Amino acid sequence: MIDPRITRETPVIVQGITGRAGRQHTRLMRDYGTRIVAGVSPNTSTSDVDGIPVFGDCKSAVEATGATTCVAFVGAFDLMKAMEDALQGGVRYIVTPTEGMPLHDALRVKRLVADAGAIWVGASTPGMAIAGEAKLGFLPDASLLAGHLGLMSKSGTLSYEAGFRLAQIGIGTSVWIGVGGDAVKGLRYADLVPFFAADAATRAVLVIGEIGGSEEEEFAAALTASRFVKPVFALIAGRTAPAGVAMGHAGALVHGSHGTFEAKKATLESAGVTVFDSLSKLVAGIRARMG
Amino acid sequence: MYLLEHDAKALLAERGVPVPHGVLIADAASIPELPAGPWVVKGQIAAGGRGKAGLVQRAATAAQVSTLAGSMLGRVVKEKRVASVRVEQQVSAAEEMYFGLLLDAAAGGVRVIVSGRGGMDVEALPRDEIRSETVLPQQEAIVACVDRLAAGMAGHKAAALRAAAPLLATTFLNCEATLVEINPLFVKQDGTWLAGDAKIVTDDNALERQPGLRTLLAAHTDIYPEVALKLEHGFDYVVVDPEGEVGLLTTGAGLSMMLIDELRAAGLRPFNFLDIRTGGLRGQTTRLVTVLQWIAAAPRVRIVLVNMFGGITDMGEFSRLLVRALQETPALKVPVVVRLAGNGLAVARDVLVAAGIPMHTDLDLAVEDLQRQLAGTAG
Repeated sequence: MIDPRITRETPVIVQGITGRAGRQHTRLMRDYGTRIVAGVSPNTSTSDVDGIPVFGDCKSAVEATGATTCVAFVGAFDLMKAMEDALQGGVRYIVTPTEGMPLHDALRVKRLVADAGAIWVGASTPGMAIAGEAKLGFLPDASLLAGHLGLMSKSGTLSYEAGFRLAQIGIGTSVWIGVGGDAVKGLRYADLVPFFAADAATRAVLVIGEIGGSEEEEFAAALTASRFVKPVFALIAGRTAPAGVAMGHAGALVHGSHGTFEAKKATLESAGVTVFDSLSKLVAGIRARMG
Repeated sequence: MYLLEHDAKALLAERGVPVPHGVLIADAASIPELPAGPWVVKGQIAAGGRGKAGLVQRAATAAQVSTLAGSMLGRVVKEKRVASVRVEQQVSAAEEMYFGLLLDAAAGGVRVIVSGRGGMDVEALPRDEIRSETVLPQQEAIVACVDRLAAGMAGHKAAALRAAAPLLATTFLNCEATLVEINPLFVKQDGTWLAGDAKIVTDDNALERQPGLRTLLAAHTDIYPEVALKLEHGFDYVVVDPEGEVGLLTTGAGLSMMLIDELRAAGLRPFNFLDIRTGGLRGQTTRLVTVLQWIAAAPRVRIVLVNMFGGITDMGEFSRLLVRALQETPALKVPVVVRLAGNGLAVARDVLVAAGIPMHTDLDLAVEDLQRQLAGTAG
């Protein structure tokens, strides 16, 4: 079973730590509680960033620190190489916030991740977080409150907004995974169904989806196949989006009736999921069940 | 990027795929020299279902070509304007097959689909004619897969598929496509074949490292507007309703889509979708001014809604940029409703209030304010 949990003790490597985003988010993740033990930057003479030692590749970082979890802050065209370096170096849990990873690169990497038996969250993800413990990526602190809702989302901002509103009424998250908006990606909603079924801290699951692709449908099938018994809520964006135009997220491209809001809603409902069409209804609905 | 048939065929022909001889016409009054007839006249839009929409018609004389081209040019089908027609030689005495390579996101591979019959939508093909398998995104794997799938088909059909396989695999991999579909694939008794229609969709994320596709795009920015815009400006912007009344200055694809859904549910007409990516502003007003100018030029926009959830971006800094951007966009003469959430809200409020703009922190209240202002200025 895929277990995406981390703790305050989990040692973490940051790839691209000497870049602008890498430095900034290393500081923010540390402030939140993430134990960052190493940075990686292939072409740098920098020996440390804020006291964190910088290595030339992941293999050296893994050997020196024992960390097998990493976050990659590298450019879209460099991401495949960085992930190959991580997997070859022994990393087994990779979070990639990078936006715009070419799909053919993602296809190749997905195979390498599977062969290594690793966990990949992303690309185009704001990351993941165990509220109150640690986070990988940049989920905003204001939206993070420890609680019992398992949250998965394609969109970053929509999940920030939902998480923020729920946190304001005292409903927090157990495990928050931004699966990201790309079509070809690492973890998909369905991959986490066994984990959420088994996770004692998770009492209900919220999926924030959007039109396009088949991920919500796969998730519904996985719920049904595993006889998932915890309450599941969903919010689907893009109900009124025009067909054939990718609205920012590459995955959100609707062709014909496939991947439409109506199709997703019907499939999710047939698997017992409560589907909402607005943020305020979602918050009210979850409060009624969990508040 | 969903390529026009003419562009797709040019890419395929460059890689050795046989296509019917054809020319592109943008003006019915000046028809270039045609290949030998008879012909098929095909309206070029980046969408399927052209046959049903009357955009694929046969012509026996040059006069008919001219008439048909004239009737198709300028038509709007599936919200896309027909800006050009391709006139190509009719293919006779051939059977129709199907050949598709599709990026299979769920399985993480390439789905190879072939059928001994074609010419209709793949969904409409008889189930027992379709042969399909998902393989690794590699030349040898795709070619070997087609070889397996072709086994047992009539000799000339199997030969055509086997001949097409390496060329289409190369096209799919070289162009970083998400779809390469030849339907119909014309095959003659002697095993020779031609791509009757061609649909290629490529990955926008890879465009920067695809010079051939960038050249195509540069020649047709009117046909691929969203892709051209993303490449030039680095953010996503789509006009969702040219008659829309609410201009949106928003970040985040999911939240922006959700906001459009909610505004429409409230009876409002949003003008645009926008994921401006605040992380990419870098202390400059350039992106904001660009978008505000587009919104200012929209004929029916009566109000602008700014919605930002700053996970990382400091809202104090953002509000300073916003105020400057508004000052730098005198063309924008409509009221602006601002809702901000995240870090730095106290500073943001001071900055906005000093500029005469009230700040909301609750999105629902901001939308109510917007509705009130629209009702008060009912046009």
